[in-house]
Amino acid sequence: MSEIKQGKITFSFKDAINLGFNYLRRRRDRSLLNIASISLGLSFYTSLILTDVFYQTYASIGGSSLSVESTYYWLVIIALIVSVVGITNAMLISVFERIREIGTMKCIGALDQHVLLLFLVEAFLQGLVGGFIGFILGVIAALVSTGFTTGFDIITYVDPTRMITIFLTSLSISLILSVVATMYPAYRASKLDPVEALRYEL
Amino acid sequence: MSFEKVIELKELARYFEVGGDLVKALDGVNLDIGRGEYVSLVGPSGSGKTTLFNMIGGLDRPTQGSVYIDGVDISKLDAYELAWLRCRRIGYIFQSFNLIQVLTALENVALPTVFAGLPRDEGNDKAQKLLESVGLGERLHHKPTQLSAGQQQRVAIARALANDPAIILADEPTGNLDLKTGTEIIDLLHKLNRSKGLTLVAATHDLKMIKASDRVVMMRDGKIEKIEKGEAPLNHN
Ligand SMILES: Nc1ncnc2c1ncn2[C@@H]1O[C@H](COP(=O)(O)OP(=O)(O)O)[C@@H](O)[C@H]1O
Ligand SMILES: [Mg+2]
Repeated sequence: MSEIKQGKITFSFKDAINLGFNYLRRRRDRSLLNIASISLGLSFYTSLILTDVFYQTYASIGGSSLSVESTYYWLVIIALIVSVVGITNAMLISVFERIREIGTMKCIGALDQHVLLLFLVEAFLQGLVGGFIGFILGVIAALVSTGFTTGFDIITYVDPTRMITIFLTSLSISLILSVVATMYPAYRASKLDPVEALRYEL
Repeated sequence: MSFEKVIELKELARYFEVGGDLVKALDGVNLDIGRGEYVSLVGPSGSGKTTLFNMIGGLDRPTQGSVYIDGVDISKLDAYELAWLRCRRIGYIFQSFNLIQVLTALENVALPTVFAGLPRDEGNDKAQKLLESVGLGERLHHKPTQLSAGQQQRVAIARALANDPAIILADEPTGNLDLKTGTEIIDLLHKLNRSKGLTLVAATHDLKMIKASDRVVMMRDGKIEKIEKGEAPLNHN
């Protein structure tokens, strides 16, 4: 009798990563779409920051002084917002596609916060991959747009710690945006009533 | 066999409001189910069988009345305790199997052991043994889509057993299966009930399943119409 009262339910961060990774891997098209969305927005951001850095570096090694037009920064913000909306939309669709599975998980012991964690972990993993890809694309784009003026070896003149800072900033932005974009869908998923979810017919 | 109550339903009622109308999905159900008993739940579609399962499993709360599992009034349990109840004491089997599509058979069966906090290798060992015991030892790493309907239901049965529950709730487990496969599933459930002393409550239209059970509870419009010993409905027809 008291057994019920002592009961413990677990679903660790590691368990969530395991399961989330399975979902990302085996629903590849949807995952790739999200990763593309985040990495495109991010590559725009990274390329702009880097272009500016390349220009400054160019000036410091004796080249002429150039700068990035400030309107581009507005475009970056818009691109990032578009990414966020795209991910929110894709994750909401993902919640609907998985309604029965969410109901089933709750039926075999999952708590609301476990479902929430699962979706946020998926977002985190997507943000991680999207951040890497976005950074690399951004470096390439910045080189392409400045290289003909500054020379493609400009990147070798940039202070490595500055590059690392830009990389970590890009990655953080990617993670934060991906997780923020998924908060609402994840919340919806976690609050699904298992009875309704199991009655739901696709 | 002495009668030890595992499930106790007292004046259980569940009403739904649908567009201003009151639907009495359950309307004053009283029923005691003993440990190791095999009870068939029969009744036309809409008579309240699924709602009754949702009540016993703590997925839904009664409008009136109470459900006792092992003597505990489950309306008094918080979300953690209910989740524990579903995870450890009760195994669900559905008409449409409800396997997690992205997971293999082994991962599906091991999932409840994750929530139960079992170490991974132990959970996987257990899942493998269970799959072997339902005749799927060769299909451990297949996805649900790579399995036949009967095999998927076997995986679902293994999953329901993952945390050694005392109670199995099977909601029309053969409803999506052909006659031969359905019979195999019924035999499997019957065997589990007898060999492990599991309490088995099954909603079904299947005469074979009804015949194998200890008691048959007939439902209509949210009420228990009649309770008979197994075999009995067959003799009537
Ligand atoms: N969530 C719900 N909302 C509204 N009506 C419901 C809900 N669940 C069940 N019902 C109604 O309750 C009755 C019993 O349904 P159910 O328990 O599913 O019956 P059965 O499983 O025997 O077919 C039906 O009339 C059904 O329409
Ligand atoms: Mg039903």
